[in-house]
Amino acid sequence: MSLLSSLRSLVTALVNRGRIENDTDEELRAHVQNRADDLEHSGLTRAEAERRARIEFGGHEKFREECRETGGGNLVQVLIQDSRYALRILRRTPLVTAVAVLSLALGIGANTAIFGLIDTVMLRLLPVAEPGELVQILRNDPSRAGPAVSSFTNPLWEQLRDQQDVFFDTFSWSAWQFNLAQGGAVHDVNGIYASGDFFNTLGVRPAAGRLFSGSDDQRGCPPTAVLSFGFWQEHFGGEQSAIGSTLPLNNHIFQIIGVSASGFYGVDVGSKFDVAVPVCAAGVFDGKASRLEQRSWWWLNIMGRIKPGLSQEQLEARLTVLSPQVFSAAVPEDWDLDGQQRFRRRTLVAVPAASGTSSMRKQFSQPLYILMAVVGLVLLIACANIASLMLARAAARQKEFAVRKALGASRWRLIRQLLTECLLLSTAGALLGILFARWGTRLLVRYISTANHKIFLDLSLDWRILSFTTAVAVLTGLLFGLLPAFRSTRVSLTSAMKGGSLAEGSERRGRLRPGKWIVASQVALSLLLLVTSGLFLHSFFKLATLDLGFDRRDVLLVNANLKSAEIPPASQNAVFDDIESRLGAIPGVVAVGRSVRTPVSNFEWNQRIQVDAPDAPHGEDALVYFNFISAGYFPALRTPLLEGRNFNRGDTVSSAPVVIVNQTFAHKFFPRSPALGQSIRTNDSPAKKAPAMQIVGVVRDSKYESLREETYSQAFFPASQIPEAADSENFELRAERSPSALIPSVQDAVRQVNKGISLDFHSLAAQVGDSLVQDRLLATLSTFFGGLALLLAMIGLYGALGYLVTMRRAEFGVRMALGARPASILSLVMKDVAVVLGSGVTAGAFTSLLTVGFLQKMLFGLTARDPLTMVAAIGLLSAAGFLAGYLPARRAMRVDPMAALRYE
Amino acid sequence: MPSQAQILPGTLDLLILKAVSLGPLHGYGVLLRIEQISQGALLVEQGALYPALFRLVRQGLLKASWGTSDNNRRAKFYELTPAGRKRLRQQADGWNRLAAAIASALNTQPEEI
Repeated sequence: MSLLSSLRSLVTALVNRGRIENDTDEELRAHVQNRADDLEHSGLTRAEAERRARIEFGGHEKFREECRETGGGNLVQVLIQDSRYALRILRRTPLVTAVAVLSLALGIGANTAIFGLIDTVMLRLLPVAEPGELVQILRNDPSRAGPAVSSFTNPLWEQLRDQQDVFFDTFSWSAWQFNLAQGGAVHDVNGIYASGDFFNTLGVRPAAGRLFSGSDDQRGCPPTAVLSFGFWQEHFGGEQSAIGSTLPLNNHIFQIIGVSASGFYGVDVGSKFDVAVPVCAAGVFDGKASRLEQRSWWWLNIMGRIKPGLSQEQLEARLTVLSPQVFSAAVPEDWDLDGQQRFRRRTLVAVPAASGTSSMRKQFSQPLYILMAVVGLVLLIACANIASLMLARAAARQKEFAVRKALGASRWRLIRQLLTECLLLSTAGALLGILFARWGTRLLVRYISTANHKIFLDLSLDWRILSFTTAVAVLTGLLFGLLPAFRSTRVSLTSAMKGGSLAEGSERRGRLRPGKWIVASQVALSLLLLVTSGLFLHSFFKLATLDLGFDRRDVLLVNANLKSAEIPPASQNAVFDDIESRLGAIPGVVAVGRSVRTPVSNFEWNQRIQVDAPDAPHGEDALVYFNFISAGYFPALRTPLLEGRNFNRGDTVSSAPVVIVNQTFAHKFFPRSPALGQSIRTNDSPAKKAPAMQIVGVVRDSKYESLREETYSQAFFPASQIPEAADSENFELRAERSPSALIPSVQDAVRQVNKGISLDFHSLAAQVGDSLVQDRLLATLSTFFGGLALLLAMIGLYGALGYLVTMRRAEFGVRMALGARPASILSLVMKDVAVVLGSGVTAGAFTSLLTVGFLQKMLFGLTARDPLTMVAAIGLLSAAGFLAGYLPARRAMRVDPMAALRYE
Repeated sequence: MPSQAQILPGTLDLLILKAVSLGPLHGYGVLLRIEQISQGALLVEQGALYPALFRLVRQGLLKASWGTSDNNRRAKFYELTPAGRKRLRQQADGWNRLAAAIASALNTQPEEI
């Protein structure tokens, strides 16, 4: 039979089921009538003829059944029948069903959410034409170990663009923040510098207007901008009139020429762009010393589309040949000769970039994989719960199974029935779980976003996520369904029909029943999760309470940018001084300091230092981290000065250069003599000899850019002696009460100095907290899931023991009738609890010791086999376990012997 | 009346197709026609007939339509579809070859070896 006709008969069978059965009936009736006619002709009375005909034909029902069996749609009908029956069974115990569906939904939802993030951050291809052909171009420094680096200077990019012959096309880009506000509080949008071929090479089409072409990106270009679709909708309501209108970016007017297609967010996964400007527009912002000419300003990333048919080997070979030409043509002339030599030896390499680039990927891939394992375990525990639930329920249905078997149902049919119930449960759980996941992923993305880096991810569902969820749903259904289905359908007809003594029949004491095994493994898995969450929590607590060398509480950080106010460099220092004294006068400000960089920020400034001492550190060891500060900085941050003096009004441009160093610096450079009074110099540049600076003070160590760093050697210089004026400096305001309440008065005070100054506000506590986003994520989520696992295990233990107690009611009744005291019944049950808990905890502890080692890298200040965490986890789990076990045990103690025996 | 034989397994479909190929028939008519064309030698069990008819319809070899029988009863009439006709030809050929082969095997005399 062809597929089509079998399908057709299936459909007719389903749609016209009633009609077909009537048809069959009528046909069989007609047959009997015809036969009766013939018999009547042979001389019988009509009544006798009909009777004889019916007897000859036999039972209608049997033939009807046979006709139905040969008909199409049989399997589907049985499936529908099974599902209907399953629904009825599940509805009969709404609470149990609800708990099962809810715990599955949580488990499957959590798995879908984490997998969804892994998919979006790591697996998904860029939504552009032929993403498989894209590669990112990196540079390799043979003289230095470590991975290839992605940043390039503009001169290098121009060389590569003009000399390459391996790519169909290349483009460069750089993510940057642009300020839309003209003075006052900063309103940053996510910008990118995009080279002329950025959009064509990716195959992105305009949604309105036109996108950049090569001619838009040439030195001295007029300021033009392309908007992203989302930004166009938000800020211009999707109006066509936006094309040709203007947009102020960092106080320069840009003309909007077009809008990129919707669904394109750039090539950086984890962020999106609002506005794109051509690379040449950097000249508009930078003026004379533009980064377009700078040979050591590394700001561009480069991608290319490989020419079809070119193999990876050919590509690598071509890039190796190309590299010396490209690098030689863009050597930074102010580097020393050795550095220039090494620069020329750098090489270009290409890596596949079908799923774009992402700084987020590096930061979050490990936490995401750990969380995936955690939620996987939680789902396993939930499955175990439902499996023991199913076992208990199936045991209570032994009589029903026996009756169905006696009526001719095959064992396979019963197993199918039970599995249908399980799959129905897991499907319901999965559907609800997808809803949870949608909501959970959004929450997670918001949770890992920080003030400085708003994470943006395209969270639409794709086939990968949906098939993952489907697979998980089916697998979990089978996982918790198979054991109960096979065990409980192995029913002996006679013993089941006799009823009653089931429990004793299958119970052999001293041996763990499968129900108990399930609970014990739940306990083991929960312990593993509790240990994991304990470790992360402990580590996060250590980080959060770490002594940073400064007091992060109640400090408002204000970044003031003078660029938009067009203040000449010569008077910038005076303006900053003026602002500092005005901010100090604001009521509620306890202390104010000023600095070029703020603590624990990404901005890094380091240089090698020379001292006149024997065996002084040199090379990488002599690297010192810099900051320029005012005298108010240390008091405002409460970093104590240990020796010498703070900066003061006497330290000016014309006075002798001075420096304050931290303890680590002092110990490292002057291990034997006091550091105070010594001179230090930065490395000489070819142009001029660096002046000597005298150490006038030593301060306590403090963290520079990350809480996890080994303390750096740091040097602080007076802001008044800064060699090149900085456009933007920061003020640290120690507030009496809430730092954010100071913002309006700060804005007022700065406006009195100059209306054009842009201001950006953060709190120091938030800035420090943002650097812990990974740790916070792991600690919070693993604690949440650890708690969930504990709860599930408790429910499992409670359920399994409750079931056991019900089964042994009669036994307890007899014992009590024979004089056993309630306490001995209690200890009988609690012994079971202890066996289950004991075996679970032992197994869990061993598993933990074996597996937690790989978490070490993520932990701070403790070893993965931290005994305190382990003991606390075991203690918590045992306490919870005994509590969950005590409740059914108490019920056993209260069994009324008479009632129990009568029931039997 | 010759002694009646049970129908060999697998031959019922062939017999039904043959019976129906001689003209549209209702279920009872099929039964009678088989008895008639086998000169009463083959006996079809009444109940086995209908599942077979149902199966042949589902396989697209027969088509069924409601009509009125000679004695003015509503009845379902079966006729061959082109596919059914083709199947009948194939099966009849196959059966004849098999029967001839078996007959010749059974008629073999010692001297012919």
